[in-house]
Amino acid sequence: MAMRAFVLRHIQLPGQTLTATGSKPHPQWYLRASLRLFSSHDDHLTKEEVIDRVLDVVKSFPKVDPSKVTPDVHFQKDLGLDSLDNVEIVMGLEEEFKLEIPDKEADRIDSCNLAIEYIYNHPMAG
Amino acid sequence: MSGASTAAYLARRAAQKERVRILYRRALKDTLNWAVHRHLFYQDASDLREKFEAHKHVEDLDTIDKMIAEGEATYNKWRHPDPYIVPWAPGGSKFTRNPVPPSGIEIVYDYGRENND
Repeated sequence: MAMRAFVLRHIQLPGQTLTATGSKPHPQWYLRASLRLFSSHDDHLTKEEVIDRVLDVVKSFPKVDPSKVTPDVHFQKDLGLDSLDNVEIVMGLEEEFKLEIPDKEADRIDSCNLAIEYIYNHPMAG
Repeated sequence: MSGASTAAYLARRAAQKERVRILYRRALKDTLNWAVHRHLFYQDASDLREKFEAHKHVEDLDTIDKMIAEGEATYNKWRHPDPYIVPWAPGGSKFTRNPVPPSGIEIVYDYGRENND
């Protein structure tokens, strides 16, 4: 652990210096896409990115009306989907974020809220 | 069991629904393993969905149990021998590849200095 802190302090990564100079709220998203951080230190998804991608997946589901999708929507109650459709959406989310969700957990994901929370807190969400 | 909404009946139906959902999820993943190309997968996935939808309205608990058992047997028969598992998940290729070193271990940089220097 000490060695890791030692190494991180003494290696200049382009990502570290750029985010240190001035606050760039939105273009940070675009910078992220073009700038590859070579360390896995700060490499977690931001909440807006997670929300955007989850909503994209839900909107592109054929049985869903895209205008009704918000980050709070419940799949079965608000969007009128089936439990099997729920399973399909969870599979779509697994494919989007390259996750492997255990069966019991996947059964419990019922709404966009839960999905966003789960993915945001998952350490390996890609 | 009179078929009325007693607690035991509802509990059993809920357990069955969960089994069906988990079975559908595994069958769908298995279909993706077998049919790698997307257009084939979409075709097979809709066939699978049709099979599940055809028995959607069965009400009798024992028939449902039997159908779930048959479905699970079919799933076991058709399981892919080499499924795609995400690399860092158990069974994947990167699982426990770089385990976290035990805590409290440090490298001491003394460069060969001895105690009487």
